[in-house]
Parts: sequence; C-alpha cells; structure tokens
Amino acid sequence: MNTSSSSLLRLTGALFATGLALVLTGCATNVNTYERAESQAAPNYVADKRVITDNTLAGTFRVVSINQGTVSGNLLKIQATVENLKNKTRTLNYKFEWVDVNGMAVDSPNETWKAILLQGRETQTISTVAVTPKAVDFRLKFRE
Amino acid sequence: MKSNLNSRFTGVLALGALLALTGCETVPETRTVDAKGPEAVNTSAINSQDWSNAADQLVGSLLSSNALDNAPRTPAVLAVDRVINNTQLMVDTDLLIKKIRVALTQTGKIAITNTMGLGERAVVASEAAELEEMQSGKKQKVLVPDYTLYAKLIQQSDKGTKVTQNTYSFQMSLVQTKTGLTVWEEEKSIAKQTKRAGSVGW
Repeated sequence: MNTSSSSLLRLTGALFATGLALVLTGCATNVNTYERAESQAAPNYVADKRVITDNTLAGTFRVVSINQGTVSGNLLKIQATVENLKNKTRTLNYKFEWVDVNGMAVDSPNETWKAILLQGRETQTISTVAVTPKAVDFRLKFRE
Repeated sequence: MKSNLNSRFTGVLALGALLALTGCETVPETRTVDAKGPEAVNTSAINSQDWSNAADQLVGSLLSSNALDNAPRTPAVLAVDRVINNTQLMVDTDLLIKKIRVALTQTGKIAITNTMGLGERAVVASEAAELEEMQSGKKQKVLVPDYTLYAKLIQQSDKGTKVTQNTYSFQMSLVQTKTGLTVWEEEKSIAKQTKRAGSVGW
C-alpha cells in the first residue's frame, strides 16, 4: 500500500513537472539569429541617456544600441536596436520626437506612435528620418 | 428605540436604492485621444494611426534613398500624379498624400506645384495666373515639374476559418520627368487580422 502510494505520488510529480515545462516552453516563439562574426559595418553610435518610469516595460524591452546617420544631405536618421527580453511575442509602441538646436520641439508629421511585434528574444531595428534639417536631437519613447 | 432603528434602516435602504438606480445611468462619454497613437480605434480598415505610419515609412524610405540628391534645383518641383485607390474602402487618399506633401515640403528639398498634376488643385491660383497673362499680355512662366509622384493603394483579403486578414499595400513611385525614369519606389504593407464573431480561440 505504501509502495503504491509513493509511486502514485512520483507519477503525479512527474506529470506536474512535464505540464509545467510545457506551459513554460509550449507557447514560446523565440527567434534564433545568425550573423557575421566580425561585422563589416561601422555604425556611428549615440551615447544615450535613459529615463525609466515603467520598470516592467524596461524589463521587457531593452534598447541594445542607438546609431545615427545623415540622409539626403542634411537630414538626421536615427536607428535603435531593440530586444524583446521575454520568451513570448510582445507588441512595442514607440515614437521618435525631434528637437532643434535651441532645444525646442520640432513638430513633425512623422511623430506618431508605431507598433511593432517582436517575437520571443527577437532583436529588431526601428528607425526614422527627420523631415527637417532643423532637427539635431531626438527622443525615443516606449510604451506597451 | 426599535422604531428609530427601523427608520434608520429604511433610510439607508432608500439611499442605497437611489444610488443603485442612478449609478446605472449611462452617460455618453467622449474623450480626446491622440489620432496618431495606440488609443485610436482599431478596425479592419485603415485607421488614423495606419495612415500616419504608412506616410512616415514612405517618407523615411524616400529620404533615405537619397533620390533627391541629384535634383536639378533646390527645391525640386514635384507634381502629384494619380493616386489610385483599389481598396474596398471609400477613403480620401489625401489622408496619405497630404502627410507626405507636408513632410516633403518641410525638408526644403521639394516644392509641390498646385497648378499641375492630378492631386490637389489650387483653382484660384490657376485663374489668377490666367488673369495676369490676360492683363499683362505676357505669358506666365510655369515651372515644369522635375518629379511626379504616383501612388496606389491595394487591398488583399484572405479568409481563414476563424480569421479574416486584410492586407493593405501602399505603393509609391517617384518619376523623374526629364528621363521618365523611376528614381525611387517603395511598397509598405499593413496586415490586419479580424476574428469572426462567434468563433472561439485565435
């Protein structure tokens, strides 16, 4: 009786562990990435300052790097590399804002909240181009 | 003492009933939201945020392509060509084109002619130019566009057993008038899935 009860317990434990493993990994849609070991690109990285007011969001999405370039002669282009730190697909809403040399906000038609889907552990780039040469600085905002 | 308690209980009950009855009244509520933000009502059609996103992506692509770097003058003159709406939606295509016009004008690299092309027409400006011609006897010098902008909106609907997907494609081309060559073109798509009513699961 004792033996059968302990084997029943062991079976229940094994089933529970299997179920838990399935729950934890079953819905994952993680992305594996492969790239050149020694990158040929030479990005112009921007040293960034971060203001975190939502720790949950900061624990879900990480800005890996921000780099900048100039397009069409004098228009600033910003690209941020974002990583989903979770194992599930998540939607990130982001917005770029522009600032001129006097620190004034530059009203731009492309200042919109955009949504991107990131698969589990996926890294993606988001970018935008300033539509006026007056824009010299930027702000990147995230919300879930 | 007992009667006092009873009357107090009745009073509280009446107050509760009053609150319950008035509390359920639904008052229409309107709030202002960011038309270009995630609070915008999402439908299977193209909503305000989708138009903004499409315009932003197209402008970003055009400017990143450096196609305007070889323009014969600054600002280069652009005329808006046909904007074809091949979707099932009755929409004003200026929801897209105007945003692109505003952005391109802000760059200082493009000036958009309003007296030529199939887009927005400045009727009074055309008439004023004709009047000036008549009065002065001199032919008005109209700037020939350096570029034309052509756009097309396409909708593709795919129906699964539980989900319908509408994919909206925003196609745009910039043609150099001197050569007739397309110097830039882009296609951006937005796919929207709608779960059918009554279906269970996603």
